[in-house]
Amino acid sequence: MEKQRATLKDYGYRDFTVMNKIYQILKKFLVVFIIFGLYISIIVIAIQSLNESRIISEFTRLSFKWYGNIFQEEELMQAIKNTFLVSGIATVLATFLGTFFAIGLYALSKKVRVIWMLLNNVPILNADIVTGFSLMLMFRLLMVVFPNIFGLFTLVMAHLFFTIPYVVLSVMPKLKETDPNLMDAALDLGVRPYKALIKVVIPAIKAGIFSGMLLALTMSIDDFVISYFNTGAGFDNLSIWIYAVIGRRNLTPSVYAFSTLLTLFTLLGLLIYSFLQKQKKGRKNEKNNINGRAS
Amino acid sequence: MNKEFKVLARPYMVWLSILVFVPILAMILISISNLNSSVSVGDLVISFSHFKLLLESSTLIAFRNSLFFATLTTLFSFVLGYFIAYEIKLSRFKNKFILLTIVILPMWSNLILRTESLANIMSENNILKSILGFNLFGNISGTGAAVLFGLVFTYMPFMILSVYTALEKIDFALEEAALDLGLSPIKKFWKVVFPLSLKGVVTGSIMVFLPTLAGFAIPKILSRGRIVFIGTIIENKFVYTNYNHGALLAVVILFFILGSILLLTKFDKEGETLL
Repeated sequence: MEKQRATLKDYGYRDFTVMNKIYQILKKFLVVFIIFGLYISIIVIAIQSLNESRIISEFTRLSFKWYGNIFQEEELMQAIKNTFLVSGIATVLATFLGTFFAIGLYALSKKVRVIWMLLNNVPILNADIVTGFSLMLMFRLLMVVFPNIFGLFTLVMAHLFFTIPYVVLSVMPKLKETDPNLMDAALDLGVRPYKALIKVVIPAIKAGIFSGMLLALTMSIDDFVISYFNTGAGFDNLSIWIYAVIGRRNLTPSVYAFSTLLTLFTLLGLLIYSFLQKQKKGRKNEKNNINGRAS
Repeated sequence: MNKEFKVLARPYMVWLSILVFVPILAMILISISNLNSSVSVGDLVISFSHFKLLLESSTLIAFRNSLFFATLTTLFSFVLGYFIAYEIKLSRFKNKFILLTIVILPMWSNLILRTESLANIMSENNILKSILGFNLFGNISGTGAAVLFGLVFTYMPFMILSVYTALEKIDFALEEAALDLGLSPIKKFWKVVFPLSLKGVVTGSIMVFLPTLAGFAIPKILSRGRIVFIGTIIENKFVYTNYNHGALLAVVILFFILGSILLLTKFDKEGETLL
């Protein structure tokens, strides 16, 4: 009798080529579908911004007039100004305060720190509507003492409340990564603690500070729900203003133009950032090569 | 770090203690009392009369809608978002930063405006129809499908980011080991990669589930006001300055959130890996 030969299958090999092909096709389909879903609204905004007609259901002719009109639309301009004012103040303050708060929290013992980090997460995890509504109620109670509190002040306070945690969260991991000896070395060399903090620790964690700042800005500039509850005295940011105008059904196409410009600028900024990052890496490699050759 | 810097945390502790607890306590107080803009603190009466609201059929329907859509949105964004995150991880394209940017770029433009233009192209006569000649979305304006589409693609980036962060941390040596020990690629995924990325899935799910559950703008715009979420009711109560009812509903949402936070702390002991 002939000896049975072990086949590849007996060794546990299975043929996946057919399944792989199906997966490849499915994959392409899904990627296209998801990109479509993510981008369709932005594309539509861009199309609407280029439409000459004010009627949003019909494309009449290509025109750039809404782009020129942005500055003529007084209400829109006011909303844009308010948005940048609130987000600007909130982002700068949140980045500055959040960095120092994170350093302070990091200096605590781990047990205590965990509790405060949990509280720090509350504004992030809590639903916007609960945060917004409850803050509004607190400010309302304060109205007994400060009658004109609603407006810029309440908006900035509310924005600080939910932006600082993002800064703290992005700075904290960088603090953990820094070499604790760095600080000791600075102190041994006779630098006073707070000077060492600014000269040694802050530069070491600046990537975290930067990403925290970007996060804070993103969250603040696009916020709708919390701002909606905490604004007052006609101080509308862009989201609130758009939401109100949608109800009245006469949104100026200049909004679409502004939004498209903002998206393009963001894209450009990210491309430049990524390009610079690449160059930096390239330069580093070059340096290493030269050093390598020299030794 | 120098213990001296503890002082720096002190203002933040005060800030957090006040702004986390005072508003919530105020909200709870208002939900169980007659306190509102016309009643002063002097003649405060504690009563549970507002709780009748929770049993009204409109409230119950709103809760059902919120939970139903939040669950579906989380499921869809989990499946699609995990897929994209995994593909980004596997991709041979070196610059992952660019790939992630493609995913999150839409989040940088105004949410309300995006939702509004989505609602526009979902209606019968729209700008895409006048260019393409056919209706891309059919005529789903005002339906649950429209709301679901909007919610999924608004919140999916959160899922992608947290799953990707978890996937990125998985040591490739583990995957190699699994393959060397004779697991098929599919088994390797289920037994090694997926369990290790579970933390990211949980974080991502919560980051999708909560805003969907409590949202009001997206469902209101996309359903043309036909599908009422719990958030929509809160907004109405706010507009008509019925703060007691609004506060009560917000307190109920708060309980859902507390549950989710407890779930999260089980997976994320230090509470520092949210990003």
